[in-house]
Amino acid sequence: MGSLTLSRRNALASRGRGAEKRLAGWIAGYAGLPGVRDEFIAADGKPRPQWLHFLQALADLDAGEIARRFASADRHIRDMGISYRVYGETGERAWPLSHLPLLIGEDDWRQIAAGVEQRAELLETLLGDLYGEARLVLDGILPAAAVTGSVNFLRPLQGVKPPGGRHLHLYAADLGRGPDGRWWVLGDRAQAPSGAGYALENRLVLSRAMPLLYNEMNVERLAAFFQAFRAGLRGAASRSEPRICLLTPGPLSETYFEQAYLARYLGFLLVEGDDLLMRDGHVHVRTIAGLKRADVIWRRVDGDFTDPLDLNAASRLGVPGLTQALRDGNVVVANMPGCGVIEAPAFMSFMPSLSRRLMGEQLKLPNIATWWCGQSPERDEVIERLDQMAIAGAFRDAVPGFPSTTTLLGNELGTTDRARLIAAMRERGADYVGQEVVKLSTTPFWENGHLSPRPFTLRVFAAATPKGWRVMPGGFCRISDEQDARAFSMGEGVRSADVWILGDKPAEMVTLLPQSEAVKVRRLMGILPSRAADNLFWLGRYVERAEATLRLIRCLCGRSIETDSISRGTRPTVERLQRLLIAWGAVPKSQKHRSATAFASTALHQGENYGSAAALSREALRTASVIRERLSPDAWRLIVALEGRLDIADTELPSEVEAFERADQALRALAALSGLMHENINRIAGWRFLDMGRRIERGIATCRFARLFAAPEATADDLDVVLDLIDSQITYRSRYRSGVALAPARDMVVLDPYNPRSVAFQVAQIDAHLADLPILRDDGILETPRRMSTSLHSELAVTEAEELDKSRVLAIEQRIMRLADAVAARYFLQGPSATRRDKQPELA
Amino acid sequence: MIYDVRHVTTYSYDAPVAFARCALRLLPRDDRHQRVLSADLGIKPLPAFRNERQDFFGNRVVDVSLETAHRQLRVEARSRVEVRRDEPALLRTSPAWEEVNRRAFGSPSLASSSPAHFVYPSRLAPLIDPITLYARQSFPAGAAIIDGATDLMHRMRADFLYDPKATVISTPILDAFVGRVGVCQDFAHIMIAGLRGLGLPAAYVSGYIRSVPAPGKERLEGADASHAWVSLWCGPEEGWIGFDPTNDMEVANEHVVVAIGRDYDDISPIHGILLGPGEQEIEVGVDVVPWPGVAA
Repeated sequence: MGSLTLSRRNALASRGRGAEKRLAGWIAGYAGLPGVRDEFIAADGKPRPQWLHFLQALADLDAGEIARRFASADRHIRDMGISYRVYGETGERAWPLSHLPLLIGEDDWRQIAAGVEQRAELLETLLGDLYGEARLVLDGILPAAAVTGSVNFLRPLQGVKPPGGRHLHLYAADLGRGPDGRWWVLGDRAQAPSGAGYALENRLVLSRAMPLLYNEMNVERLAAFFQAFRAGLRGAASRSEPRICLLTPGPLSETYFEQAYLARYLGFLLVEGDDLLMRDGHVHVRTIAGLKRADVIWRRVDGDFTDPLDLNAASRLGVPGLTQALRDGNVVVANMPGCGVIEAPAFMSFMPSLSRRLMGEQLKLPNIATWWCGQSPERDEVIERLDQMAIAGAFRDAVPGFPSTTTLLGNELGTTDRARLIAAMRERGADYVGQEVVKLSTTPFWENGHLSPRPFTLRVFAAATPKGWRVMPGGFCRISDEQDARAFSMGEGVRSADVWILGDKPAEMVTLLPQSEAVKVRRLMGILPSRAADNLFWLGRYVERAEATLRLIRCLCGRSIETDSISRGTRPTVERLQRLLIAWGAVPKSQKHRSATAFASTALHQGENYGSAAALSREALRTASVIRERLSPDAWRLIVALEGRLDIADTELPSEVEAFERADQALRALAALSGLMHENINRIAGWRFLDMGRRIERGIATCRFARLFAAPEATADDLDVVLDLIDSQITYRSRYRSGVALAPARDMVVLDPYNPRSVAFQVAQIDAHLADLPILRDDGILETPRRMSTSLHSELAVTEAEELDKSRVLAIEQRIMRLADAVAARYFLQGPSATRRDKQPELA
Repeated sequence: MIYDVRHVTTYSYDAPVAFARCALRLLPRDDRHQRVLSADLGIKPLPAFRNERQDFFGNRVVDVSLETAHRQLRVEARSRVEVRRDEPALLRTSPAWEEVNRRAFGSPSLASSSPAHFVYPSRLAPLIDPITLYARQSFPAGAAIIDGATDLMHRMRADFLYDPKATVISTPILDAFVGRVGVCQDFAHIMIAGLRGLGLPAAYVSGYIRSVPAPGKERLEGADASHAWVSLWCGPEEGWIGFDPTNDMEVANEHVVVAIGRDYDDISPIHGILLGPGEQEIEVGVDVVPWPGVAA
C-alpha cells in the first residue's frame, strides 16, 4: 500500500505540471448554468473541496491513461453484458455509465439517510392503515378519493395482514437537490424499486477502473447493505432455512439483467410466474424433484399482475391464487402487492401532515411541494398560481386529457390548452396535482476530456432488516441532458452514475462472503425449477443441432472444393448431403438445384429457414436468454458471438472456400462453448439437462447420418463423409489399416461404446444422467425415462454391426425421440397432478 | 316478490383440461332491498377444493379448484330471493349533481360502499371524451342528480340499438358507443363511463331481470339472461339508486342483484384459469321464475 502511494507521488512529481494544467483546464472549461446549484463549482466560483480532491487525483493520470481507464470500464460493461431494455424495443442496450461518480459528503449523507429512513417507516405505517382499519380516512386526515384513484390500490388485499409482519421490505426515494442546496424527495418507489443491482454494477465497474482513487477517497462499501436486506427477507419467513424466490416478469422486462444479476448475487431462485404454483394455500416452485415450498417471494412484477385470479385477469406474469396464499398467511411477498399505491403523486401533498400525525415529527427530508386538486381550496390555489406550477397526473404517468405528457409547465401552456386544463380540473380535479417547478442541481459529466454540468436525480434505497431500516450508502444516480426532469427513466440522453459517499475514515470492508464457520459445507446445492431444466435441455438440443447442421455444411463445401462437381462418384454423395439439409429445414426445397455455394450460404445464414445454422443459433440464444443467470458470462458471450457470426445477410455469394471457412469458424466457436459447458459448469442437475439435450440431439442426428451414408449401398465416398460428420476419421484410420469398409464404419458410428460420437455412447451418457436425477417414486421401480434409456442401452450393447439395416437404425432413432418426450413429460410438464408423489405402503 | 333463479353454465373443451382454478360470483348477495332465502351451487366434476368468502365489495365468492382431467365443466347456481323495492326513487327530489361530485371526492370512508371507489375510470369503463360529452348534455348546471341520470337513461334507450350479435365481452366501449349498439353490459359500461367522466360515482351491477313472455306465449325454459345495470350514488341522503339503461327503467321489483363492482371485470360470474390445450365452448341458460304461491 505504502509503496503504491509512493510510486504515485513520484508520478505526480514528474507529471506535476501536466496534472495542474489538466485540472486548471477542467475548471476553466466548466460553465455552470445560471440560477442552478452545481456540485462541483460553488456559487463563489470556487471548486468544492471533495470534487477538487477527486479531480486532482484524476489529473495525476495523463490524458491517454484516463482515456484507457474509461475505455476499459466501457469494455467491462460490454463483456459482462450489463444491459437494459427500453420498453417496446426487442434488443438490449449496453448500460450507459457516466465515467465520473456523484460525490456526496458525509454530512449531506447523514441527513439524506435519516430522511429516507423516516420516510420508509412513515410509509410502512401508512400502508398498514390503508390496508387495515383506514383510520386516517375516517379521521379526515386523508380523503378516500386520494387513495382510490390509484390503480395500485388493490382492494382484494384490504384487510389482509401481511405475512412477515410488514408491507415494505425495500423502499426507494428519488431525490433531487434544489438551488438552496437542500435535498428534496421527488418521488417514492414502493412497488418494486429497480436500480439497486445497477448501483452495484456501477460500483464494480468504476472501482475497477479507478482502484487507487476509490480507496483513497474512503468510499462507503455497498455489500453490507445487501447482506442486511437478505437477512431481512430471511427473517420475515416462518422457516429457518427459507427458500427465497425473485419473481421476474421475464427476459422482456426492461431491467431483466439486473434481476438475474441480483438473484445470482443474493443466492435467490430466479422464477417466473409459471414456475410457481399455489396449492393447499401454499406457494410452491415446480422443480424436477417435485413441488418445493416457496417461503419468500421478492417480486419485480407489479402488484396488480401478481395474481390473474384475484387481481388483474389479463396478467400472464403472476401466480393464480397468490392472493389466497397471502390471505392464508403462508407466503411472504416483498413488497406486499398493493404497496404501489403510495407512489401516487397525490400522496405527496399529505406527507407533511401524515408525518406529524403518524410519527409526531416533521419530515426530515421535505418532498417537493404538492397540491392535490381533489379538494377545492388546493385546486383553486393551483389554478390561481398556474404560471408557477408544474401539473402532473395525481395517479397516472400521464396528465389526464394530455396523452403521453408527464408534466405540463403552467407558464408554457397555450390559451386553448390552459382553458381545457382548468375546465377539467374544475370537474375532476382529483386527477391532477400541482407541483412546484424543480430546478435540479448539476454534477460534472465527462465528455471527450471535458467536464460539463448535467442535472441529476438520486435514488436512495432502504431495506427493512431485523435491526430496523438500513439505507444503502450510495445509490442509483441518473444524469440527464434535460433540466426539468422530475423522474427521468433510462432512455435517450440519460446516463447512470456511481454514487460515492465519502467518509472521513477508511471504509469497512464487507463482502457477501459469509463467515466460514457459519456455513455448513454442502456439495449439491439448491433445486432446479422445471422451466430452467426445460430451457437448459433445449439449449443443449439447439446447440447440438446447430453443430450437426454446420458439419453437414462444412462437409458439403469440402466436397465441392476437393472435386469438381461433375466428377463421377461424388455427385450422389453431395446430393445426399443436400437432401439432408433440405430435410432438416436448413434450405427450402425450391433451392434444390442451386450451386453448392448458394446452397451453403442459405443453410448458414438464412434465418427464415428454421433449420439453418442462423435460425438454430438464434433459438439457442433465445433459450439461453431466459436462463442467463445459470450461464457463465463467458458462455453467454460465446452464444451471442455465434449468433452474430451466423445472422448476416450475404450481399454476394461467398466462394466455396469462404463458406467452408465460415462453417469451420462457427464450429470452432461451438467447440469452445462445448469446452466451457463441459469444464465450467458444476455437475449438478442443470448440467445434466444441458448435456442430455445435446446427447439426445446427437443420437438422433447420428442415426440419420448412419441411415443415409452407411446404408448397404453406401459408396466409399459416403463412408468417408459419415466418418467426417462424426469426426472419427482418425480413430478409424488408426484402428483399421485397410480402406473404409461398411461394417466397421457402422460399428463406429452406431455401436462403439468408446467413440464419444457414436449413438451407443450418447445413450449410455443419457442413462447415466437419468440415474443421477431425483426420483419421485419411493417404491424402487424405475421411472419411465430411465426404463427406456436402460433398455436401449443394453440393446445397443448386444447388437452387432451386421444386424444394423436401415429399419433397425430407424427404430433406434425413434426410440431416442420417444425418450426425449418421456424426459419432457417427467421433468418439465409439472402440472399439479403430475407432481403428486406416488405413495406406496412400505413392504419390508 | 320472490323469485326462483336457476343459472346453468356449461363449458365444453376440445381436449381434456387437467387443472382449473375458478372464482365464482353466482350466489346473490343480501342488500337493503333483497333477501336471499336460499342459494347453492352445484359443480361437476366435483372440485378438489371449495371455499366461500366475501370479496372487497361484499359479493359472495366461491373459490374452487378442479384437479381431475375433465372435458366438461358444469356450474349450476340456484337461489330463491325475495325482492322488495317498494318506493320508486326516480321522482324524488335530489341534490344537484355538482354537489354529489363534491361529496363523492370528499368522502371520508374507504368502506366498500363508499362512493370514492366509483368515481375513477376502471379497466372496462375508461373515461373517454366523446362519452363524457354525451353524458354532459343530460346534466346542465345545477340539475338534480336523479333527473340528470334519468334523462341520460332515456336518451340512451332512444339512441342505442340492442343487438346481441353486435358486440362480445371484449368489445371496447368506444366501439359500442360509436356504433350506438350493444347489449346490457355495453350500455351499463357506457353509462358508467359517462357519469364518471362528470365525476359522479357509478357502479356496475350484475344480476337478473324477470322477463315477461309475449302475450299468449309460454315462457321458454332457460330463455332468460343474466343482466347488468348501473347503480348511481345520489348523495348521502338518497344513497345508491339503480338505473337500467337497457330497459330505460328504474331498478325495481323485476331485478335480482347478484354482485356489485366497478365494472364487469370485478364481478364476472365465472372467472378462471385453466390448464389445457384446446378450444372451449360455453352454453348458458338462465331461468327467473316467480315463486309459486305468491301472486305476480
